[in-house]
Amino acid sequence: MAEVEETLKRIEAHKGVIGTIVVNAEGIPIRTNLDNSTAVQYAGLLRHLTMLARSTVRDIDPQNDLIVLRIRTKKYEIMVTPENGFLLIVIQNPCE
Amino acid sequence: MFTDEALDSVSVRSLWRKSQQSEQESRDCQTRAVHSAEAGIQTVFTTLSCTQTEPQDQATEQLLQQNHNEPEPLGLKDFLQRVEEAVIRELVRNARSHAFDGFQVNWGDRSQLVSCLHCLQHPITQERGLHVTSVSWSCTGSVIACAYGRIDDGNWSTERSYVCMWNLDRRGLSPSQADLVIDVPTAVTALCYHPSQPALIAGGLYSGEVVVWDTSRTQDPVLALTGMSADSHREPVYQVAWVPLQKKGEFGVLSASSGGRVLVWTVDSDQGRFILNAAYALVQQQVSHSSSVSFKARGSSTVGVTSLALSPWDSDTFLVGSEGGLLLRCSFSSKVPAATPSDGQSVTLRAPAVFSFRPHSGPIHSIHCSPFHRNLFVSAGTDGLAHLHSLLQANPLLSLRVSDSYVFQVQWSPTRPLVFAAATGQGEVQIFDLGHRSLRPAATIEQRGAGQAASCLSFNCQNPHLLAVGNTDGTVGVWQLSADLTEQSPRESSQLEQIANQVAE
Repeated sequence: MAEVEETLKRIEAHKGVIGTIVVNAEGIPIRTNLDNSTAVQYAGLLRHLTMLARSTVRDIDPQNDLIVLRIRTKKYEIMVTPENGFLLIVIQNPCE
Repeated sequence: MFTDEALDSVSVRSLWRKSQQSEQESRDCQTRAVHSAEAGIQTVFTTLSCTQTEPQDQATEQLLQQNHNEPEPLGLKDFLQRVEEAVIRELVRNARSHAFDGFQVNWGDRSQLVSCLHCLQHPITQERGLHVTSVSWSCTGSVIACAYGRIDDGNWSTERSYVCMWNLDRRGLSPSQADLVIDVPTAVTALCYHPSQPALIAGGLYSGEVVVWDTSRTQDPVLALTGMSADSHREPVYQVAWVPLQKKGEFGVLSASSGGRVLVWTVDSDQGRFILNAAYALVQQQVSHSSSVSFKARGSSTVGVTSLALSPWDSDTFLVGSEGGLLLRCSFSSKVPAATPSDGQSVTLRAPAVFSFRPHSGPIHSIHCSPFHRNLFVSAGTDGLAHLHSLLQANPLLSLRVSDSYVFQVQWSPTRPLVFAAATGQGEVQIFDLGHRSLRPAATIEQRGAGQAASCLSFNCQNPHLLAVGNTDGTVGVWQLSADLTEQSPRESSQLEQIANQVAE
């Protein structure tokens, strides 16, 4: 269990990372360093988007699969890594 | 010899008509016979059930489980180990990447001009020549309320006045006739809409009373009234605001008057009155003087409050500006008793002043705390300058010349951290952008009609491109701002941070 915390701490310690959220298969955030309501909002919205992105990639080429979904916005960048039901969401502010 | 000849007529057969007709064919068809059958049924037993959704926030609180003591879900450790490297690689690459430097996306039509959408006026107030003293947008952003009175009147006046409301999203909006008019017995000097309930609006009157109107009531919109009791103000109320109380979701009304009192009331809507929750009195001697300017205190003269601002970051702090130019930072939780004799108040008076900034050279008409930085606020008064202060220093960080006459109100833009607007006595509204190097305004809204002053302004937080400006000729202009004044650019927050961290000379 300590490894999970350590891994998340390593990711959070990176330059510019604002928050991380780990979402389980039901869409509920299980580990996060943001506040509850924000985490739940991100989890719910990004789950749908990730499923849609994944089905788009597989429709185009069934041998292919989604690795990372990155959304670049004016203020920061959101990276979603889906795998085996879990989702890892990292929000980073690329300092310029 | 000459006889009439009768000739047979000659006819020529038509060739083309027949050739068209030769192609004709006819067919017919019929569906099979339609089968029909009849049967009867009857319900044997019935059941009834109903459902209702629960309010949203209860559900979200239960969803998140942060139990570190519970054994973690299966596969979480493996999942994280697998993705960690890839994620860290991408994060590092991202931090170094210049791919998106200077790239601006353009989603909608950007309007380049500042234009006047509506010019609202009400006939009765025009006839009587009343000035607009305060404007306020409702929490939904569609209704604007305007309070009328006089800003230049020094004498005690008993003329009746009005509060008019227009709903700008209505199709039948008539700019020359208000949707709702509330009669008020004296001039209204301050107005503030409730931050979450769109029908409640608090107002401060020239006689020192504080009123809350409920516009959803058809009969009598007055929900609560302080009346002339020992608790209420004796001087005109220049600012009202809704403050969050201890219990989450409840709001009380804060009123500040030129008698030096700042009072916090709770609304008792059943009985239609206010209950005094906390009272603060500002007295000259108790104001801490941290600057080098010395004040000769003559007796226990009160500090007349002409403007007040609540800090959106710290619920304990509020800022007060006075008639004499004093600018003070005050605290709600101060326990120091005030040095004035109490005249039968139900709550003991406290002295809230904690820190005093460098005083202005005239009455301060307006203060506003920045919604983007916890330490910054802007203040303006009759000296025609807008001062940008940090809460941590006594001297202002920046002083901008807004106009040659009085400045009646300043407000920060709700969407751009570096922009604020100021309403001047010459009738113009100057909008400043601190990101520009020059000290000149980024945009100027000039209103038609010379000799009138712009007495109040308010940004619409729901539709951030709307700005309402109230004038002394009784009209309220609703202006649409251009896209570069409302859309935030990527580096603004860090620029604001830099400005705030400057040390004042």
